[in-house]
Amino acid sequence: MEQSKNMVSRSCGRRRAGRRSVALAVGVGVLLAGCAKNAPQDTFQPEGKNARLIDGLQRELFYISGVVGLIVFAAVGYAVWKFKDRGQEIPEQTHGNPKLEILLTILPAVILAVVAVPSIAAVFELDKKDNDCVINVTGQQWWWEYDYVQGSTCGGVEITKSIVTSGELVIPADVDVLLRITSRDVIHSYWIPKLNGKRDAVPGRLHTLRMQADKPGLYTGQCTEFCGLSHARMRQAAVALDKADFQTWVTNQTADYVAPEADTLAAAGEGTFQAQCSKCHQINDLKNSAGAPVLAAPDLYVVSGAAPNLSHLMTRTAIAGWTFDLISAECRDRLWNAAPEDFGALYLKGVTPECFDEATLRTWLRNSPAMKPMYADPAKLAATGGKTRGMPNLNLTEDQIDELVAYLLERK
Amino acid sequence: MFTTGSKLFFGATGLSVAGAIVFAITTGGPTGLMGTIGLLSLACIFGFLGGINFFNSDGNVPAMQQGVQYTSSAAQRPVGSSMWPLIASVGFGGLVVGAVSKPVVFKVSVVVVIIATMEWMVQGWSERASADAGYNASVRKRVLHPLEFPILGALGLGLIVYSFSRIMLSVSKEATPWIFLAIGTIIAVGAFMFASKRRISRGTILGVCTIGAVALLGAGVASARQGQRTIEEHGTTAGSALCLEGGTEGEIDDHGSQDVSAKSNVIANIYLEANDDLNARIAGFTDPEDNFDTITVPRSTDVRIRFHNESNSPQRITARLGTFGEESEVVMCTTAINPGKEAFLSFKIPKTNAATSTPLELQVPGVEGKTIAIVVP
Repeated sequence: MEQSKNMVSRSCGRRRAGRRSVALAVGVGVLLAGCAKNAPQDTFQPEGKNARLIDGLQRELFYISGVVGLIVFAAVGYAVWKFKDRGQEIPEQTHGNPKLEILLTILPAVILAVVAVPSIAAVFELDKKDNDCVINVTGQQWWWEYDYVQGSTCGGVEITKSIVTSGELVIPADVDVLLRITSRDVIHSYWIPKLNGKRDAVPGRLHTLRMQADKPGLYTGQCTEFCGLSHARMRQAAVALDKADFQTWVTNQTADYVAPEADTLAAAGEGTFQAQCSKCHQINDLKNSAGAPVLAAPDLYVVSGAAPNLSHLMTRTAIAGWTFDLISAECRDRLWNAAPEDFGALYLKGVTPECFDEATLRTWLRNSPAMKPMYADPAKLAATGGKTRGMPNLNLTEDQIDELVAYLLERK
Repeated sequence: MFTTGSKLFFGATGLSVAGAIVFAITTGGPTGLMGTIGLLSLACIFGFLGGINFFNSDGNVPAMQQGVQYTSSAAQRPVGSSMWPLIASVGFGGLVVGAVSKPVVFKVSVVVVIIATMEWMVQGWSERASADAGYNASVRKRVLHPLEFPILGALGLGLIVYSFSRIMLSVSKEATPWIFLAIGTIIAVGAFMFASKRRISRGTILGVCTIGAVALLGAGVASARQGQRTIEEHGTTAGSALCLEGGTEGEIDDHGSQDVSAKSNVIANIYLEANDDLNARIAGFTDPEDNFDTITVPRSTDVRIRFHNESNSPQRITARLGTFGEESEVVMCTTAINPGKEAFLSFKIPKTNAATSTPLELQVPGVEGKTIAIVVP
């Protein structure tokens, strides 16, 4: 009997020790995660004045609350150690101490008042609307669209013709940019951690967020409001370029459509695009064989009423809600880690044949829902009147995929 | 051995099973399936009852059984009087009435029957839990209070909120803030007085609270009977015939075209100046000199504009939202508003400029040659 008890006790002890080891390992892992160098979405490494303001505020508050926390823990620890049960008699029990209660009411109020000063100042500073560029940002399941206000200037660069792009928000560096954020379907949230805080994108509402990047570079982000099946694959990036490079980018985005050379694979791809993709995806100035403009009507096929404009697809480095790279891992690393002075030239090259990650685009065209979960199964669309959330499998043949890849590679 | 009662039920079980087999064989299809399921269910019930009777020896207590004078049902204290059977019977009556009149009566009756049955069962069980009445009462509280308190609390709170909302909806818009202020003050002062007088009796507090609750409920019922005040409705858009021709609808409603949601955020402010110039000031561009003759709006997205009539006559803003394919042109406009007033217009354009055969633009009917182009990338 005694032996059995000892065995049970040893077993319980081993289980407790095991649990402690797991908890310790998890704790250490979480702690060490804070030391990660390769953390592109680290909010503690601000690279714009708005993000720096938030970071500075949270540091100030952390120091104040840290001191308060230390005092509280020290007081609790002292009380626990000093008055622990050693078999002594229970001391006299008292109720109510007006002086202490007043002190304990006033002291936190004073601390909160002190904390409120930088907090409120930061809120007002972040809410300023003076800016040198305005860009519309529209969220939908599961990608972001950007369009630039025609007739305005952006960091001194004139936007003479409307520009619409997706995934990558291209902005001039060191310029205050005002984003006007909304949504076409459900609530999303736009966040580029290194440049500013997050802002919800709500259907029917227009929220503003000011963004500024100190220097040219690529700043990644993520939708931070759960928005459905592929929320985790709704990513985005802000690309900051110096003024000359931004001017080049704008000029390229407003350039006229260049048709592929006749009798090439790309020319065949143009026809395939018109037959298969143009129901939803627009390529500006594309005309059919009769010379009539080819116009997308995503409002008839997609719940959100929009699909990415592909006029300059190969100026972007990723597709499908900025989830899958259009460039190889090597080229991506080179771009992401480029020095600010080299970044613009590298980015403006777009997707070059040597960097092109053809396999990813092919896989996407072959069966997109298999890569990124979407509500696009034709058999399950009764609730939406046949409209999809995301891109359906178009059942393209390998020949059609060859043609489309060749055609899209020229969309720069 | 099998008792008389159990024999009866087991016999019925066998009969039901046999009936189910015969029914299943002779009647096919869904009817046969449903009938078979019904008969088999009956068999299960009879089997269960037969088992209970067998286990309890039909409720007969052998005279030789030890301790039977304490444990048999007949030896237990009879349960006390209870209001729950009465309430349950009212509930059953309500079920019948509700079945032929209003569904809400039926649903409420179902709830009443469930509550009465549960309370009755727990009361019956707890009163025989022991010989100690105090302990029995505590057992009942332990089981039912976690259910009763939240439900009654939510019900009470709901009644208070509902009564208060009926009162507020029935009195005039001007009076509501004052009533709110008065009730809040009375509650605050009353609470302060109770708090400051330590020796106030529980009965006094209960009495005051009861009077307050009854007064609130009474006023709520009276207000509900009176009905809510007339809430003025304002048109949000004008008839399309007026959008292009100009003119007014008759009496001008300066509060028209002003949805609450529309006021919250607009993509552009459109000004009709005193000299009949039409300018767009786009949200985000803060320089007052930033006047645009185009506004850029995302496609397939709900957007809204605010129209400011700075001219000298009543005017409206009209949005020509394109002609797509074979469909006719989409035209929307605000109601006419007086000089110095504002109106809002919400719209959504599903396709880009390239897809429409007529221009996308904002204009003021009667003001020629001045338009704001709408760009949809």
